Amino acid sequence: MIELRKVTKKFGIKEAISSLSFTVKEGEIIGFVGPNGAGKTTTMRLITGLLKPTSGSVRLFDLEPIENRLIVLPRLGYLPENNPLPLDMTVKEYLKYISTVKKEPSLEKIINELNIDDVYEKKIEQLSRGYRQRVGLAAALCGKPDVLLLDEPTSGLDPIEQDVIKDLIKKLAKKRSVIFSTHILSEIEDVATRVLIINHGTLLFDGLKPKGKGSVDTLFKKLIKKS
Amino acid sequence: MKALYKKELMQLLNSPVGFSVPIAFALFLGYLFTKDVFVIGSASMKPFFSVAPWLLFILIPALSMRSISEEKKTNTMEVLLTLPISESHIVFAKLVSIFILIIITLGITLSIPLVLGFLAKLYLPELIVGYVGLLLLSLSFLSFSLYISSKVSNQIASFSLSVIILFLITTLSSDFLANILPKEAQDILLFASPILHLDNFAKGIIDLRSVLYFAIFTSVFYFLTVKELQKRT
Repeated sequence: MIELRKVTKKFGIKEAISSLSFTVKEGEIIGFVGPNGAGKTTTMRLITGLLKPTSGSVRLFDLEPIENRLIVLPRLGYLPENNPLPLDMTVKEYLKYISTVKKEPSLEKIINELNIDDVYEKKIEQLSRGYRQRVGLAAALCGKPDVLLLDEPTSGLDPIEQDVIKDLIKKLAKKRSVIFSTHILSEIEDVATRVLIINHGTLLFDGLKPKGKGSVDTLFKKLIKKS
Repeated sequence: MKALYKKELMQLLNSPVGFSVPIAFALFLGYLFTKDVFVIGSASMKPFFSVAPWLLFILIPALSMRSISEEKKTNTMEVLLTLPISESHIVFAKLVSIFILIIITLGITLSIPLVLGFLAKLYLPELIVGYVGLLLLSLSFLSFSLYISSKVSNQIASFSLSVIILFLITTLSSDFLANILPKEAQDILLFASPILHLDNFAKGIIDLRSVLYFAIFTSVFYFLTVKELQKRT
């Protein structure tokens, strides 16, 4: 579904991503982990076609995502970092607009699934971070995407809201492939089936999630220290 | 794509700029014009069509300054560009929604000829052609302001830059420049001036060269704005 082959991305002279390669198959839940500034968001933006790789190739559903954006984007759900939302709109206005654009026939089902019925008529600016995150997730889910890209979906949330979002990701992943980036290691243990560890734009680990409590944490610290 | 147009228009009408600026524009234009009518004692729409463009180059950047620059600043552009909508549709929706607001604003100013019609006999075709000219001029200014909005991610910078450049373009036909430049340069600058082309419409003349001028002006900056959104670094 997603294939990155020797992708390098430079911003000026700074190399944000260095010869990154990995593939994502159907039904995988990938935890994309790394410290702040490791290159997670840049990788997400390369996959969505918002950025162009300096070298290497990105394929989304076997197509180059920038040239074929109108073909690949209906199959992709994306929650960007910090979840930018139009604060002056109500949840209802925003989701109706997104669902129409993405041709989602059953918006009510998504609203129920994400428990946002009670804030549906409210302005987005009045919502708590947790609810905003759910609205962003609902928007990403419209159009029944085959792949969900979630960039730091639990960032800035309190532990209770984090658990709610984690449970939602697990639920959503039953029907599609999910890549979610995070720097919170416990999320990987709870949700992911496969782990990608990145630092300074270089992939340090790509494999199945190690078993046992704290194993991801141990692996991550070991690899980051080495790099 | 109806949803996109609806969203753009709704966001514009919900913003303080969306309703206050058009009303202020119509009131101010009305005041300037009525003042002239009573001072000069002439019941003609000509002063209206000569004052209007000088206010339009403030109104239009004020309406369009947020359009793309704010979406870039708040990152909502990232969401927009990952929706299955072409960049040309995105720009077109923004252009159409602001243009609708401009039509409403100019619609409010129709009260002026309506009142004037009681004082003197107005030549209706001249009035209609004059308004068509104003709409074409507005579309060109709007297309240009959207392009500036796509180049910067600060709405104040977008507004200031648009006003300054549109002011310079508008003054290309001023007497000051006409006096200091050689004849050949004057001719080129005069043809490039939107005021000169609007003058034809204000006289009730539909000059195809002027229609073409506004069409090219609008299309060039529309195309450049689309290109700006299509740019991937």
